[in-house]
Amino acid sequence: MLRRFITNFRQNVQFLHRRQQYNHQQLSPSRFVVTAHAEETPLEQSHIDEAIRINPLLSRVHPTQWQRAHETFMNHGLDTSSFLRIVVANPGVLARPTRRIIDAIEHWRSCQFGEKFLFLLLTKYPELLDVTDELRLRKHISYLKTFAGTDKNVWKLLMNCPDVMEQSERRLEEKIKYLKEVMRVEVPEIIKSEALSKPLEEIRCRHVFLERLGMFKPRPLKVDPDEPSKNPRLYQITNTSDKTFATKVCHVTLVEFEAFKELYEREWQRQQDADDDEDEENIEKSSGYKK
Amino acid sequence: MLRARNLLSSQKRLKSVRPGLQQSKKTNTQRALESFDDFYGSVFGIRWKNIRVALLTEHKYIALINNFGDVGKTAKELELNGALNVKSLINLAKENLEHKIKHSIESTNSRLDENLVKVLRKQQELEKYSLYPMGASESATSTRDQLIYSGKKDVNLNIDVDNVIPTNFGHSLEEAIEKDRYLDQSRMIDPKYSTGGLYEFMPANKIKGMEDWIPESDHYKYYQTQADFPLQFELETELCYPENLNLYAYEMGNCSDFKFPKRCLTGVLSHYLMDGASVLPPLLLDLKKGDRVLDACAAPGGKSLIMLQTLYPDILICNDIQESRLNRIRKVMQEYIFDYKENWENKRVALSQCDAKFLDSYDSFDKILVDVPCTTDRHSLLKNENNIFKTTRVKERLRIPELQANILSNCLRLLKPGGSLVYSTCSLSPVQNDGVVHMALQKAFNEHGITATVKDLSFIIRYLEDIFRFEHPKDMKYGQMVIPYLPANFGPLYFSKLTRNV
Repeated sequence: MLRRFITNFRQNVQFLHRRQQYNHQQLSPSRFVVTAHAEETPLEQSHIDEAIRINPLLSRVHPTQWQRAHETFMNHGLDTSSFLRIVVANPGVLARPTRRIIDAIEHWRSCQFGEKFLFLLLTKYPELLDVTDELRLRKHISYLKTFAGTDKNVWKLLMNCPDVMEQSERRLEEKIKYLKEVMRVEVPEIIKSEALSKPLEEIRCRHVFLERLGMFKPRPLKVDPDEPSKNPRLYQITNTSDKTFATKVCHVTLVEFEAFKELYEREWQRQQDADDDEDEENIEKSSGYKK
Repeated sequence: MLRARNLLSSQKRLKSVRPGLQQSKKTNTQRALESFDDFYGSVFGIRWKNIRVALLTEHKYIALINNFGDVGKTAKELELNGALNVKSLINLAKENLEHKIKHSIESTNSRLDENLVKVLRKQQELEKYSLYPMGASESATSTRDQLIYSGKKDVNLNIDVDNVIPTNFGHSLEEAIEKDRYLDQSRMIDPKYSTGGLYEFMPANKIKGMEDWIPESDHYKYYQTQADFPLQFELETELCYPENLNLYAYEMGNCSDFKFPKRCLTGVLSHYLMDGASVLPPLLLDLKKGDRVLDACAAPGGKSLIMLQTLYPDILICNDIQESRLNRIRKVMQEYIFDYKENWENKRVALSQCDAKFLDSYDSFDKILVDVPCTTDRHSLLKNENNIFKTTRVKERLRIPELQANILSNCLRLLKPGGSLVYSTCSLSPVQNDGVVHMALQKAFNEHGITATVKDLSFIIRYLEDIFRFEHPKDMKYGQMVIPYLPANFGPLYFSKLTRNV
């Protein structure tokens, strides 16, 4: 009896602890953005001067425009420091009519990333505010969701490679197909890397290079998914410069990798030409057969 | 009717199963790659991956300009595309090397002189200081100051030594004894842990295992006597580049392509494209005017063509085992040599179909090129057809080294005394390379009493280092090897030069 009581008590205590941790985690890092703007620091001349110093293009903007845009952003929940970061990186925003700014933020809001995550995204990549076509945006986000699974994953993907917004579905499809079927990389790993913002040719070249070095083997289909693979991680392959990739990931010299890039491009081109010729021959043959 | 339907459905089922089966089946190239990974991985260690990637990527060519075509025009075209004449590259490398050697000798001389002057000056200063201990430092310039300062230090040191040494000695002796006592304590073995250790104790006047130790100089003697046939090495210092040979290549790091050969006014093709490393064996054979030359395994004829382009051989005999392979040689000759049928066939070039290990015109050739059949590493990784790693060719593959050794030892017999041969393979395997040369030399000595001198090519290959990447000469025993390297993706090619002793 006593023993049962003690174990129950222990479990309760553990539960309470866990809950506390959970609450704590929820409050701490990501709420920061939302809580920070509550203080509402006004836009001062020193802020403007600093911004102009960083991006001289801003010197053309009239003070009233500054104030108006600042107000718009504040009304939508962004704080002054975020506003300044957005403006410095994308000065075109200031010259826009208020309506357009509001629309852009509203379009993004409809993607349901959650306020704090959306603000983080917009502050990191202010170019995303240039969006005008709501329909296209929604279509693209829903397409990304079919691939990534959840809204959170779409957000993570955008945080790593914002230029997926500008790529056509066909191009993305090609890359995803290559990453998933040829390299056999899982979706979470793709989302964590910048792979989708790199051209397919570059991904393929680096992958083939690793494969020919004997350092990358596609994961067997029947292998236990929890078992760690010995291949280099996708972010190591795609998020690195040529030099880092060659020396730190592949452990070869940069000269060798550069020579390989040149040779492989030619090899690939030749292969394509040969395939095209074969196709043409097949078409000719089939047409001959029909006659 | 029902039966027929059943049959049809079962056929369908079979068809649907087949693709899966095909996927799981290994191709010959995959088999080759696996075997290389296993074998060469252990031979080359971490360097294997660099060689592997180069082997699996497109190889680099060298163009041989056909002297029977429009030489000037073709050379100009190739040069316009950025190709370099191998002859001038070699000459340049020669000059650079000579300059380097001279420079290094001069610099060591000048360094010696400088050191002498320094020592002399120091001594003078010392003498001066001992004569005028105070005055010298006051009247000295800034540079002299330093010198005098250093001199002063020396003098002080000397004085110290003179005065202090005896006391120091005593001190250090005491210290040493004390230290030794501690050492002894630390070396004492507590009997409660083990007494067995005491029996193994050995005073440190001798290092255990030293009984088998041989100094380096003795090692080479031992090495020579260990081979049970007389073995001589001779350093080759001169690379004679034939005057009429026009080879064009791109330098290391330049991966450009050559244009396809064109028909010239004389009806022959303008240039011949071949794997760059293949030009080395005929080049190192050092052909001379009027030589009687044999190409023991000649197909597809590239190396024979190089030898003919030098215009040196009096007669070249191209031998191969199969009719189809001889036809390939014939085709190449007809395409590249003007008036082949009228003036060359059976006059200056003769084709013979024979197994190279049974050729029996002994003691009759000045030079022999022995480019033996091997695992053709690069080719085995590219083509599935007729691959040596096919499961049905396992026995043949395992007997390759034996075959190679037989061919090579027979070719040694075919040489005139004093004549030389170049043995080459396009494999990285040490068994097919140094191993076979060793086996063949042993066989030639044991069975026919033939001895040969191995030419050390490690000096000559330095002239070619701008174009090729060579394996380090210290890793090779009887020859040298071009290893595939992406910026200079030639080879693999092993070559060894042997001269039959008179």
